[in-house]
Amino acid sequence: MEQTLTEISAAALAEVASASTHPEIDAVRVRYLGKTGEISKISEGMRDVSKEDRPRFGKLLNEVRTAVQSAIDAKVADLQAQADAEGFRNIDVTLPGTPTPEGRLHPVTLLENRVIDVLRRMGFALADGPDIEDEWHCFDALNTPADHPARNEQDTFYLPDGRLLRTQTSTVQVRVMRNEPPPIRIIAPGACYRRDEVDATHLAQFNQLEGLYVDTDVSLADMKSTIEQLVHETFGADTELRFRPHFFPFTEPSYEIDIRLEALGGKWMELAGCGMVDPAVFENINTARGDRAFDPEKVSGFAFGFGIDRLAMILAALPDIRLLTENDVRFLAQFQA
Amino acid sequence: MKFSLNWIKQYVPVAADTAKLSDLLTFAGIEVEGIEEKGGDFPNVVVGKVISYVPHPNADRLRLCQVDDGSGMARQIVCGAKNFDVGSCVPLALPGAVLPGDFKIKKGKLRGEVSEGMMCSAKELLIAEDADGLLILPPDSVPGTPISQLLDSDTVVEVEITPNRPDLLSHVGIARELALLTSQVLTTPMLTDAPAGDPAISVCSEAIEDCPHYTATVIRGVKVGPSPDWLAKRLTSIGLRPINNIVDITNFVLMELGQPLHAFDRAKLTGGIVVRHARDGETLAALDGSTVKLATNHLVIADESTPVALAGIMGGEPTGVKESTTEIVLESAYFRPACVRRTSREVGISSDSSYRFERGVDPAGVESAALRAIDLVLEIAGGEVVGGIASAGAPKLSLEPVTLRNDRCRKLLGADIADQEIVRILTALGLKDDRSETTGTHTWQIPSFRADLTREVDLIEEVIRVHGIENVPSRNLARFLPASASDLAFDFRRRMSRKMIGAGFYEARTTTLVREASLVDDVFGPREILRIKNPLGEDSAALRPSLIPGLLSVVETNIRKSTADLRLFEAGRVFEQGDREERRVLAMVMTGRTTPTGWQSSDAKVADLFSLKGVIESFGIPKLTAVQNEKESLALCAAVYCGKTCLGHLGQLTPARARDLGTDAPVLVAELDFDALREAIPVRFAYREIPRFPAMTRDIAMLLPLDTPHAAVADALRSANEALLDDIVIFDIFTDPTGEKVPADRKSVAYSLTYRSYERTLQQAEVNDAHARMKQVLNSKLGADFRE
Repeated sequence: MEQTLTEISAAALAEVASASTHPEIDAVRVRYLGKTGEISKISEGMRDVSKEDRPRFGKLLNEVRTAVQSAIDAKVADLQAQADAEGFRNIDVTLPGTPTPEGRLHPVTLLENRVIDVLRRMGFALADGPDIEDEWHCFDALNTPADHPARNEQDTFYLPDGRLLRTQTSTVQVRVMRNEPPPIRIIAPGACYRRDEVDATHLAQFNQLEGLYVDTDVSLADMKSTIEQLVHETFGADTELRFRPHFFPFTEPSYEIDIRLEALGGKWMELAGCGMVDPAVFENINTARGDRAFDPEKVSGFAFGFGIDRLAMILAALPDIRLLTENDVRFLAQFQA
Repeated sequence: MKFSLNWIKQYVPVAADTAKLSDLLTFAGIEVEGIEEKGGDFPNVVVGKVISYVPHPNADRLRLCQVDDGSGMARQIVCGAKNFDVGSCVPLALPGAVLPGDFKIKKGKLRGEVSEGMMCSAKELLIAEDADGLLILPPDSVPGTPISQLLDSDTVVEVEITPNRPDLLSHVGIARELALLTSQVLTTPMLTDAPAGDPAISVCSEAIEDCPHYTATVIRGVKVGPSPDWLAKRLTSIGLRPINNIVDITNFVLMELGQPLHAFDRAKLTGGIVVRHARDGETLAALDGSTVKLATNHLVIADESTPVALAGIMGGEPTGVKESTTEIVLESAYFRPACVRRTSREVGISSDSSYRFERGVDPAGVESAALRAIDLVLEIAGGEVVGGIASAGAPKLSLEPVTLRNDRCRKLLGADIADQEIVRILTALGLKDDRSETTGTHTWQIPSFRADLTREVDLIEEVIRVHGIENVPSRNLARFLPASASDLAFDFRRRMSRKMIGAGFYEARTTTLVREASLVDDVFGPREILRIKNPLGEDSAALRPSLIPGLLSVVETNIRKSTADLRLFEAGRVFEQGDREERRVLAMVMTGRTTPTGWQSSDAKVADLFSLKGVIESFGIPKLTAVQNEKESLALCAAVYCGKTCLGHLGQLTPARARDLGTDAPVLVAELDFDALREAIPVRFAYREIPRFPAMTRDIAMLLPLDTPHAAVADALRSANEALLDDIVIFDIFTDPTGEKVPADRKSVAYSLTYRSYERTLQQAEVNDAHARMKQVLNSKLGADFRE
């Protein structure tokens, strides 16, 4: 009996070793460990084993069963591992990935966001106003005389009812001050319109960003630091900037801001206009409000504004500003932030 | 305005460094538009006279020259040019000279021989574009003379003068500013006293408002002819054409002092001068050859019979000074800026004169310019002044004094500028201090040429302009201000834009002004359009009522450029007549494949209406419904609702319109209102219980009338208020127009219903009961036949 068991064990292990597919190993398992398998048959023969031999034989039988079972398990695992590996053979990881639909923001939006994020960190809140404005908000309130060249039909789009498309986002300054008392610290991005023929460097519609800060103690020194921080945060700490005295009807003193960046050819580039709000503007607001909330003796402020499209053109080295309105997706796909 | 540096140097010393000059002007608020160098100022380049030369012992092509540099000692120069002889005078650059291109001249050895400088060509001195050999100077040139004295060298600077500073529209004006900025003394031309005696011409002003001050002087016996060299050069240097000595003098004084003048031929005038408004039907033959039709609001200078000049703008041709003229009337006047501006615009003529009068000339300059011109006429054209200066009206010389509180100045600038510095700056500007008792508060007399200084802030601007913003320390004044309504709206738009790019859409920004004809693409319209009164052209005459037309034109452009798979969105303003004249909308368009094909798969899904609807559904709008809608311009259209609020529309273009755009694929469009969207999409930050007990699903396959929409099925099921019903999913639709498999007027649809309780595990029996109730509802409400 022991002899038979040893032979069966050897035969089973040999068959396990030679099996090379799942059905084969399955067959081996059934043949030896199945209900009517060889090993099961022998265990039924236990009844015939003498009482004193029974423990020893039982132990041996168990050992054989365990050995065969683990040989089968090992073989199954081995075959599975082989099959698994087969699935990865000849996979070329250098093949391109499966495309995921991707979208991009327009470069003007990207730039606008960049500037807005910096200014919001500095404590500016957003403000908004309509594109269709009246002459008072666009010109009179901003101290632009009635015979100013900008106010004629050559330079400004008018609607039949006498209203116009705003030529600058400074109109939002006026709207905010009319509605709210100081302190005011706002930025207003938006579209502006000038009756310019469209060419490689001009658009009749462009995007501006306006800023205004009015409070009891706002000085030129505050304006300077705001602009410096804005420029350094937006274009990098190594950006040089300078303030060139200029003239705007609605600020005094007034400056144009130039920046210079080695990465952009090291030339001075005009970035924006800024200045201390002219007392005449405050008085126009007071008259419209019917109070003295913006008494120039009590409050002061600064304003700034710049063109996003022109800035995009400079920063991205665009050969033609009309690329910004054409919206060729091959162009749009080039920008990210 | 252009000015000549040589000319400026008559009044104030100017540093040679044009870059520094440019900065100086720039930071004083005078924008430099261009600098043109003519000839040049070359320190250490002098006239050299060749005494002798021999061939270079070590180089065939070089000569060893002995050159007289004016010092008395011969200087040895090695030279490669051959176009000179003994006795030739040439430019000689001495060691230390720096030629254009930063070419430094040093003493050195050339092929073993000492060379103590360099003889120069015209090209090396930037006088000519190229040159053969040395520049040969006139033989009588004196060795040692600085070369710049022989060359017509000058620097012409073009500056942009802002409208508030008309005092800078002349050479003396610029020189006065430079003198201030560099703390130097301004030297203005000496003037002789005004001529005495009774005027030889009568002058009468009938329009004292528009012409507060008019003067005329008669000069007899002048000889009209070409201007002397110096005068002609002054004018040509700034781009003016010399005409004759009298006209040139008036132009010279205009450019020197900023006061426009005019000279009439006395013989062509009938009687005296009347300043008046034109009469109906009068015309003037102007000097530029045009005939001006005059209107009654135009100010003219007239003689007894007819207008002879358009006041402040242009003289008349018949009375102009010509070769034959022997007696002139010299006009110097002050005209009201608005009057000149209006007339100039109406008649379409502008001139150097009108440019200055429009901006305002110095009232005090009327007399001094006349005196200056008289001096020059007598000197250049001869003749004699007849009588005194005839005059009508009087100059308004005194301007309102302006009070400046120095503390106020310091506060507004945020800079600690000392009292004496403020006083120094304003004094140098020509203001006079009426020192009052209070310290730190001064009342300043304003010079007549600075009419722009009327308020305290104007003086503060002058102080900082001269003091320099670079000397103001930066300061941070932070103050917290809460987010505004605009902030919240902006943040929402930004959030939506991010969702859109996440869904694979590119952002387009199209123009607000569109062609009205393109509004056939306002597919969700029609709307009442707003139009521009003075458009640049038909292409931009209407304010867009929708973003769709613009986006479709972008689609067309891209398809034409071979990009056929497109997902575009725009967040922008639209306009229409009515209560909500301006609003912001989110528009999207989609066409072509939704996933690009690649090496893994060659079959791509092409976007259809449900692709775009899926994008809108991904916004997380609760209670989102779409209602079938009919629009002529669309093959398919649905109105998108959140509850009872319409958010906008969604649709597919007709295949014909899509083909017009260049594609056979569906073109899907949607436009949603931003305000409505913001109301509809809540910010969610709250916990809802996650189901702990398993759900059970039961499928329904049924035949429904062909026109029963999915929404009706969902509504019927929902409205039954079955407590256990958790979800409804449609998973199959089948129709057969032939009627073989399904009757032609029916459709076969399959739904999967999910049942769930949040309190317990459901029993089969209760789910079966619930499901039976659902089927009963479908059968009774919609006439469903079940295919079991």
